[in-house]
Amino acid sequence: MSAADHHEAHHQQGFWRTYIFSTDHKTIGIQYGLTALVFLFFGFCLMLLMRWQLAYPGQPIPVIGGLFSDATMPGGVMLPEFYNSLGAMHGTIMVFLGVVPLAVGAFGNFVVPLQIGAPDMAFPKLNMASYWCFFAGGVVMLYSFTAPGGAANSGWTSYPPLSDIATTGQTFWLIGMVFLITSSLLGSVNFIVTIIQLRAEGLSYMRLPFFVWAQLVTAFLLLLAFPPLEAAGVLQLMDRLAGTSFFLPSGLVVTGDVLQVSGGGSPLLWQHLFWFLAHPEVYVLILPAMGIVGEIIANNTRKPLFGYKSLVYAVIFLGFMSFIVWAHHMFLTGMGTTISAFFQTTTMIISIPSVIILTVFFISLWGGRIRFNTSMLFALGFLPMFGIGGLTGLPLGLSASDIPLHDTYYVIGHFHYVVAPGTILALFAGIYYWFPKVTGRVMSELWGKVHFWGSIVCMNFIFFPMLIQGLMGVSRRLYDGGASYDFAEPVIHYNTMMSHAAFALAVFQLPFIINFFVSIKKGKKVDDNPWHATTLEWAAPSPPPHGNFDAIPKVYRGPYEYSVPGAEKDYSPQFEAEA
Amino acid sequence: MKLTAFLLVFLSITSLAGEITGVVKWDGNAPKMKPLKMDADPVCSAAYSGGEMARAETLVLGEGNTMAHIFVRISKGLPDKKWPTPSEPAEMDQKGCMYSPHVVGVMVDQDFKFVNSDDTLHNVNVKATVNRGFNLGMPTSMRESMQKFSREELMIEVKCNVHPWMKSYIGVSSHPFFAVTGEDGKYTISGLDAGTYEVEVWHEKLGTQTQSVTIGQDESKSLDFSFSMPSK
Amino acid sequence: MEHFWGMTEIASAHGGDIDRLIAYIHYLMLALFVFWGGFFILALIKFRGSRPGPADYAGVKGKFSTYLEVVVALIEAVLLIGFSIPLWAERVNEFPTDKANEVRLVAEQFAWNVHYPGPDGVFGKTSIDLVNNETNPIGLDRNDPAAADDITTINQLHLENNKPIIVHLSSKDVIHSFGIPHMRIKHDVIPGMSIPVWFTPVKTGAFEIACAQLCGLGHYRMKGFVTVHEPTEYQAWMDEQAALLAEEGEGDDFWD
Repeated sequence: MSAADHHEAHHQQGFWRTYIFSTDHKTIGIQYGLTALVFLFFGFCLMLLMRWQLAYPGQPIPVIGGLFSDATMPGGVMLPEFYNSLGAMHGTIMVFLGVVPLAVGAFGNFVVPLQIGAPDMAFPKLNMASYWCFFAGGVVMLYSFTAPGGAANSGWTSYPPLSDIATTGQTFWLIGMVFLITSSLLGSVNFIVTIIQLRAEGLSYMRLPFFVWAQLVTAFLLLLAFPPLEAAGVLQLMDRLAGTSFFLPSGLVVTGDVLQVSGGGSPLLWQHLFWFLAHPEVYVLILPAMGIVGEIIANNTRKPLFGYKSLVYAVIFLGFMSFIVWAHHMFLTGMGTTISAFFQTTTMIISIPSVIILTVFFISLWGGRIRFNTSMLFALGFLPMFGIGGLTGLPLGLSASDIPLHDTYYVIGHFHYVVAPGTILALFAGIYYWFPKVTGRVMSELWGKVHFWGSIVCMNFIFFPMLIQGLMGVSRRLYDGGASYDFAEPVIHYNTMMSHAAFALAVFQLPFIINFFVSIKKGKKVDDNPWHATTLEWAAPSPPPHGNFDAIPKVYRGPYEYSVPGAEKDYSPQFEAEA
Repeated sequence: MKLTAFLLVFLSITSLAGEITGVVKWDGNAPKMKPLKMDADPVCSAAYSGGEMARAETLVLGEGNTMAHIFVRISKGLPDKKWPTPSEPAEMDQKGCMYSPHVVGVMVDQDFKFVNSDDTLHNVNVKATVNRGFNLGMPTSMRESMQKFSREELMIEVKCNVHPWMKSYIGVSSHPFFAVTGEDGKYTISGLDAGTYEVEVWHEKLGTQTQSVTIGQDESKSLDFSFSMPSK
Repeated sequence: MEHFWGMTEIASAHGGDIDRLIAYIHYLMLALFVFWGGFFILALIKFRGSRPGPADYAGVKGKFSTYLEVVVALIEAVLLIGFSIPLWAERVNEFPTDKANEVRLVAEQFAWNVHYPGPDGVFGKTSIDLVNNETNPIGLDRNDPAAADDITTINQLHLENNKPIIVHLSSKDVIHSFGIPHMRIKHDVIPGMSIPVWFTPVKTGAFEIACAQLCGLGHYRMKGFVTVHEPTEYQAWMDEQAALLAEEGEGDDFWD
């Protein structure tokens, strides 16, 4: 940093404070976004390695296989331990370092203060701390690949006793998780306070854009569900480092030797604490995505969302219910009729608000004048894909039909439909939609459409066969994809096709990556409200300056007043007074 | 470099040809080893045809009750110096879902080659305590794996979790003066200077025995051992 | 009932009920997907941007979507109360203890130890201090009179056709999951607990046990073999194992 920088205008801070240790919600949002995109891509690459092994078990990976060490891929051939590491880290990175930071950290940070007409988040320094905790957690996770025995290899669920007796990578995983959870807690407190306290004049709760509602409920989920996992993570760390036995029962014999621990713990305790977070976590992944889709559908149908109020009540109800369904992940751990009936019932109940939300989006299309731009294509793609994801949850949520499907590829197919062609498509939609607000330029429509069609086709070729393999009973997390089993024979050949689709999916991300970076510099310049949208972020200049608005906006109406009969144009922004 | 090392080894073996040889015998009735059921993995049971079954290799006797798989080494009397590491790797095969051989000696930092000759997954769970233990999966795509042990450790237990009956031992010695007996019970430790040495023999169930012996320059001495059933 | 599309043949008595439930759920899924998919495509074509006229501020009128949601909720309630809960109750409450064979299954990384009680029908005592992976993986105390005739195998689960079997699941080390796709049975095997599951095989032949819970590097081939015999063959197999046990008994315990 040069001395000259200091002599610039008063309110301008130096390079480090402006771009690195910034407290501006927009910079932090961009930091979150770029970091999360890098992690998403990294986690995606881990999956590509796994998909090679599943398609061609035991065959060396061409070219890049040679770059790996003998402890992971001797001669380019993946070892089972490394496969397990890749699986665990793919899940962890995609969920905790990719999707959540992008959906909450990036979109939440950038868009929420703008949409509520606030100059910044309520606690800017807390916001910065949240990002740097996240960053530290990410570094620890990445560094764990160099640990003896490699990164964590006990699944992203890290069930003890396996994780308790696993190699050093698991310790890094736990430490990394503590950072990531801390980051989420700091962030969620900030979102709650910001949304409650900093709304612009006239912006009542029932005038909040649906995206803000989704972020508010998400923040409550993070705040209330993450602490149990943080506690559980510390307990597991104690089991591994301090000789405690929170999750270790007495009388374990590992490889013929009695495990010298005090014992008396319970492996199921971990599962309860883990899923108490991890089920709400599913909604942390999905609610912001729904929020994004709601914004884009209203904007591009040029009409209000159908049943805004039912949408809001559904999302609040969903948030409450998500705390009492966790044990449906544990039907097969030895559950009696009463408890299983309770959790099946809550699971069926929670499907209702999801159905309502999706129904609202579908019905909102009716009567619109639909613009098929790239962000709308992604948002529309979300609907049937999330639909498949939600529907395939039904047989897993009923304990009897869960018996043959539990821990099979059916589960993998189910939650990938929710998160990959579901949430991730919605996140892409959000990127294309808000890109002009962040940069003042739009991304290329043509390459955006190539990106969309390539991605959605490939994703279905990857994930739909998983449902078929799961019905046949193929277990998840198998190093050879089930080739050892005779019963899997009729469906094993899908593995090759699925992997090829995954490699093609990688190719179809290239237009996005290039489009993204090129458009920052060379994209077409647009005005402050290029989509003719109604919510407050479009009242700010693009990109918004420090403090966001030239004048703090006042809110005159609900969020989606499109095509109001008698109005002179087909959108009536929240921030424009009646003519 | 390699050539000089080789010459050094060669010279030390030929010019300092002090040698201890001997036979290890079992003093008692030949017990019957339990048969090993291998129907847990069809690949394993297929290796044994005609109703023949593999048996535990805890005690393997040759003609005249000579004992195989006895690890013999010089335990005392060697000068405090470093010996060159052999360039040839020591080797342990996994064949017919048994380790072959059952006991292998290797020098510190010498290459150690694990081989999987079976068409099934074996995992090599090396339960070292002085060295870093490791658990290596060897799927059928991985026929060989080269490892090293950097510290002396007597003896390291090796197990396979996929086939729980599989067990073997590796002796990691800081010097090259060790041997493992074959079915004839014979061992030879050569290349020794003149001096007084303690020779130790080891068996996984019967423990160790030692004897002292003094050899002159270029002298070859015979030193036999015998194990018997320990009194309970 | 026939097995549901895409699933394996059914080899257990209760498998048909499970598949029926899975089938009904999938029919519901298909109906919803086809209906909303049709609506979706229709809406996209009918209300495309190039059509004449402005967007309709009010959109859909009427309670049609509410009715549909209520119907879905009702169907879910029927599936839950009419099928899933009773089926689950049958699996966890109605153990046919008096007419079933029993077997213990002790899982470990990466094998299934099967412990048959032998002709006396009583499981002998086990102790972790007696565990020896080469010769006594479950630590069976052969000095216990009840243990004398017990038979143990690795990965070999032999069953009698049309006779209920109760499997007591336990684990030596980490969590495994005992799954036999053909039998429509699966249950986690949790260290520190002994959990019984039961089913009735109704088809002779060879089937596979697949570990369904990640248990380490050998998880992918932690495979067991299930053989369902007619009663006479089952007895013959048991006799064969007993003979083998006798031969083992001649071996010297010291060398274990």
